[in-house]
Amino acid sequence: MVKKKRLRPIAEFARKVRAYRELKSQPTVSQKYGLDYETMIRPYTGKRLPVLAWQDVRKENHLFSLLAGMRLFGVGRLFTRKSWLFDHTEPSYWQITKVKVDYTAENMNYGRAWGLLTHKGKQETEVKEVDRVMYHDWRLVPKHEEHKFKNFEPLPEPPVRYVFYPPLLRAMILAQFRKEGRLGAEEPTLPLERDVVLNKDYFRMQEQEKQRKEGTAV
Amino acid sequence: MVLSKMAASVLQRCLAAAVKVKFVTPTFTVRRCLLSAAYTDTKLWEAREKDPQNLALLATFMDRTYERKLPVSSLTISRFVDNISSREEVDQAEYYLYKFRHSPNCWYLRDWTVHGWIRQCLKYGAREKALHTLKNKVQYGIFPDDFTFNLLIDSYIKTEDFRSACSVVEEVMLQEAFDLTSTQILSLYSLGSYLAAKPELSLSDERALGASLLIVGLEQDNTVGLSAQLLGNALLGKVEMLKGIHAVFKGMPLMWTHGYLGRALAIMERVAAASTDVRLSKDAVDCLNDVLHDLSSPSESDSESDSGGEDDKKETPDKKETTLDEDDEKEQSKLPHYVSRFKELSSELESKGKVDPAHFQTSVSALAKQGLAVAEQLDIEQYLDKVQAWEEERRNLIQREKEFREKAEQERQERLAARAAAKQA
Repeated sequence: MVKKKRLRPIAEFARKVRAYRELKSQPTVSQKYGLDYETMIRPYTGKRLPVLAWQDVRKENHLFSLLAGMRLFGVGRLFTRKSWLFDHTEPSYWQITKVKVDYTAENMNYGRAWGLLTHKGKQETEVKEVDRVMYHDWRLVPKHEEHKFKNFEPLPEPPVRYVFYPPLLRAMILAQFRKEGRLGAEEPTLPLERDVVLNKDYFRMQEQEKQRKEGTAV
Repeated sequence: MVLSKMAASVLQRCLAAAVKVKFVTPTFTVRRCLLSAAYTDTKLWEAREKDPQNLALLATFMDRTYERKLPVSSLTISRFVDNISSREEVDQAEYYLYKFRHSPNCWYLRDWTVHGWIRQCLKYGAREKALHTLKNKVQYGIFPDDFTFNLLIDSYIKTEDFRSACSVVEEVMLQEAFDLTSTQILSLYSLGSYLAAKPELSLSDERALGASLLIVGLEQDNTVGLSAQLLGNALLGKVEMLKGIHAVFKGMPLMWTHGYLGRALAIMERVAAASTDVRLSKDAVDCLNDVLHDLSSPSESDSESDSGGEDDKKETPDKKETTLDEDDEKEQSKLPHYVSRFKELSSELESKGKVDPAHFQTSVSALAKQGLAVAEQLDIEQYLDKVQAWEEERRNLIQREKEFREKAEQERQERLAARAAAKQA
């Protein structure tokens, strides 16, 4: 049997104080994400950025270097990422709602931002923290182009494709049909896209259905 | 060096006929300022209730607060700016604005503080200081509203300092604050006057001017606006051809799609096909012509250096020359196509009589005469409302600060009393 642990209140208190101090002494955002543009090394961690990102880092800006020079830090404006522009044809952008700037930075170049994401034309309803703020990838959508940028014609979704069952399974299904008397029914096909969320409730419903059909075991 | 010479020669040729502008309309450009006296009147601003404070006390208070790493309230800095009474104090206020910007409360810098700062700078003749803080808006947090921008541009136009007026217009462009008609008219006027003087422009200057012209022109839907758009697109197209699209839109609120020259030609096409009496200024068309001409004539030497540059690019990917990507090179290859298209469109425009022989500057002045009075009236009314709202907010802040102080005092008294009672007991 395990011996009962001795209650050590002072040690608990010390643990809490240490956790609090660690929380307080966390590096500021500007320290964490500062970058030396000559050697591509982050001075805080000493790590170098991946090589494929070097060209982007030299050419483009990260979000807060755009926000620092704007009224109210760009609240209410739209920002896209270059990678989104190249990857999807549908517009994806963040609309900034709240900004918390790291005031220790000399150029107000770092901080955190929150906003509404519109990904591939689908708007989200909740305000979330902007992801990957420090990536050198961001572009401002100019006001006169906002309307044109947001409008897009959604491509029609391609129809769901159906596929034949593998031969053994097909034989089993046709045998089932014959038992039920559904001979002459059309070829059983498998839809390649199913919009079911596979969670506990779904499987429970499936179990119940099966039990209802088959009845209890003899 | 070659590029700046080219730029100068472009504009010399494009505005060669505009030399006589100043002599033709002397009274308008030289004597009278654009905005009426009612607009630039400081009476309304001075008529606010004064809050006399000793600047030295405020300064020491702020220094102590910063030492203790506590936040300074926006009310303190606004009081400091309001009570400036001499030129040296303007410098001190600049320092404290910098410190405020780098404090946790930087978001809460009030509009009226910024407005008051610009007004004080103009009053004590510290216009360069105001321009300096405006240029370094990242460090000082000065983001004036439209009325303040109008005041500043107008003060520069009055003293004929069109270069500085254009730098202010550039700031307005970076904020995309061309909402008021008065701002648009003033900026077009200063840009037109600056270009009419045929200055030497570096490529970055051209980029800034082109961007400002484009964004201002998009607001106006008449001859002046469309000519401004055309000029803007032409200049930006030139920068795009020489340095690549990336150099065009970095740091500016511009679109990153290629083909600025194509868009310029599209404007010409639109004007040619338009049924209303919209025309394009001859200056703008000539400018585009010169830009295309300049780009296509040294293009043979450019393409040779580019092909040499491409080999270098393959060997050393992170060499710091002006490497253009494939998209930029595709743009350059479209240049002869643009030239031919331009020739067709310009002949079409001339045949339809849609080219306005008046200079850009004169059409801007005409527009100003018509529209400025009306726009000013609206602005002044809005300004009245705004000043009242600001006063209201200021009073609320003062009230809140007083209540806060009283509460803190009360709590302190209670604590002292409790401590005294505990000592006694």
